[in-house]
Amino acid sequence: MTFYLIRRVAIGILLLFLMSAMFFTLTRVTPGRPISVGENPKIHQSVINLRLHRLGLTDEQGNSYPIPQQYVLYLGALLHGDLGDSYVNHEKVTTLLLQRLPNSILLLGAALLVALAIGIPLGIFAATRQYSKLDITTSLVSYVGVSIPSFVLGIYLLLIFGVILRQSPLHWGFPLFGMHTGGVDDPIDLLYHMVLPVTSLAILQIAIFSRFMRASMLEVLHQDYIRTARAKGLSLEKVNYKHALRNAILPIITLVAIAIPQIVNGAIITEGIFSWPGTGQLAFQAVVDRDYPVILGVVMLVAAGTVLFNLIADVTYAVADPRIRY
Amino acid sequence: MAQVPPLPIGPAGVPGAVPDQLSVETTVQQERDLAQPGSAKADEFGAAPELGFWRLAVIRFLHHRVATGALIILAIIVLSAIVVPIITGDLYRIQDYRHPFKPPFQSFQHLFGTDDLGRDELARLLRGARVSIMVGVLAVVGYLLIGGTLGALAGYYGGWLDNALMRFTDIIISAPFLLVVIAITAATGGVRLTTVIIVIAATGWYEIGRLMRAQFLVLREQEFVQAARALGASNARIIVRHILPNALAPIIVSATLGVSGIILLEAALGFLGYSIPPPEPSWGNMLQNFEQYLLDDQAYLVVFPATALVITALCINLIGDGIRDALDPRQR
Repeated sequence: MTFYLIRRVAIGILLLFLMSAMFFTLTRVTPGRPISVGENPKIHQSVINLRLHRLGLTDEQGNSYPIPQQYVLYLGALLHGDLGDSYVNHEKVTTLLLQRLPNSILLLGAALLVALAIGIPLGIFAATRQYSKLDITTSLVSYVGVSIPSFVLGIYLLLIFGVILRQSPLHWGFPLFGMHTGGVDDPIDLLYHMVLPVTSLAILQIAIFSRFMRASMLEVLHQDYIRTARAKGLSLEKVNYKHALRNAILPIITLVAIAIPQIVNGAIITEGIFSWPGTGQLAFQAVVDRDYPVILGVVMLVAAGTVLFNLIADVTYAVADPRIRY
Repeated sequence: MAQVPPLPIGPAGVPGAVPDQLSVETTVQQERDLAQPGSAKADEFGAAPELGFWRLAVIRFLHHRVATGALIILAIIVLSAIVVPIITGDLYRIQDYRHPFKPPFQSFQHLFGTDDLGRDELARLLRGARVSIMVGVLAVVGYLLIGGTLGALAGYYGGWLDNALMRFTDIIISAPFLLVVIAITAATGGVRLTTVIIVIAATGWYEIGRLMRAQFLVLREQEFVQAARALGASNARIIVRHILPNALAPIIVSATLGVSGIILLEAALGFLGYSIPPPEPSWGNMLQNFEQYLLDDQAYLVVFPATALVITALCINLIGDGIRDALDPRQR
């Protein structure tokens, strides 16, 4: 187990290196220089040279370093926890990320929790009542859920609550945009602001979780030990919810790790639509501005998170299922 | 779920079943016939299937009412996307400043109304369908070419290629795909449709690659492959003629579902302004001004492209599931 852990962490770090190299090269071979974004055209060449030098792109004379050398400089800074400076507002990328990260974690975490809390029971009930009305409805809804991208769902929600129900009391006063005025001091208001973006992010995951849980549960229910338990005279509830559920729910752990980059994907646009001040919005703005250090920072952050969660998922899986040995 | 009546399935209808009957004396010619289930020569070896595997699959698919319905709807969308723009020509970009924001279902001249510049919304929707479907199909062809080839080679030969494939997949899976595609599209300079297709194909093929690899890993150990090798078939021949036909079923399903995934991805890119540039309409960039339209009570300009997107993706997903059931009846 210890050896396995060490190996996994090593592979994870190697992966991050590969990824940073890939994206670093990609962003550096791009046409367009960082100074050209929203800059005074009459700016003196020496000022440009100084700025480029400060960004670690050129030497004092304005000759640009070769890309491998730039990458080594970047890596050196990265190991000190420095992701470089934003081309646009010259703030540290790490500062920008740390400002936005809590908001994103709040939104994405809530979406994930909601998806788990609804998707898993839905899948279980659909499997134990196969071909019932509930089962058919669930699979129909999950089909639609998989086919609606979260940004379209967000637009639909805004249409329903902002336009169609605007005059009726049914719109429940959900704020359409922004985050909150009172911050964490006003949790009720914060919650109200979260309803629509969380819904638009969670539906896809609910669809995926419920489909997966149904399939997993059905597979377990058809195994011999379940029949044995029933033949022994145990009640249906006990067999379903104790014997079967314990084994069927395990693969969900892996699925959660896979879901994280998916939710982040959705969040890039959803945060933009609902003006949620998270890393997704930051990434989107950075893409518009071609602010490569920020793009690179977000990509690295998400990648590190995914690698970490995959590791946690595998370890949890091994702990939860004694049949698995590494 | 529509219940499918049981169909007569000969032993040859199951892939991988026929080559069990290979004997030591089998010649390459006979072995070639056996590799194609349902061919006339297979009858000599006892199995007498009434219908071939693919014919049976088509029949099973057509018995799946939901999937057939989805196929009909999709066919209507695709056909009108191909045919109507040929007839209407430049209608999608002819601006009429006297009649902007004409509400839908009021006149036959503009059945779905007009947009902010007085352009016909229906013509723009159909033109946008063209973009979506073209990107979806071409990028999936890219998936199949790149992922299929690399996956097959990695699964068959193993070694460094296999390792490289798996590591590449790990990298792509842990990155936010949308951001990656945007970053690469931006890095290649101007945003053009060809760039978008190439970038999506170049980054998204890993799923089919992994699937193909898994199929080849299982199939290369099977007895019919050993038999073919013992008969002196070359590696290329084994890969193309023996393993590939047996590996196709899950690949076809994955490719079908891939089309809807790409269409949604392209719409997201278009929404962010990273797909085909205006005045060319795509369902994604038609949604770009959604805030303005919602505030001004021109909701139909939002509803039409969004719903067209969802219906198309839904139909493709339903067809994909229908194909899955048709190709592998045991899954039901």
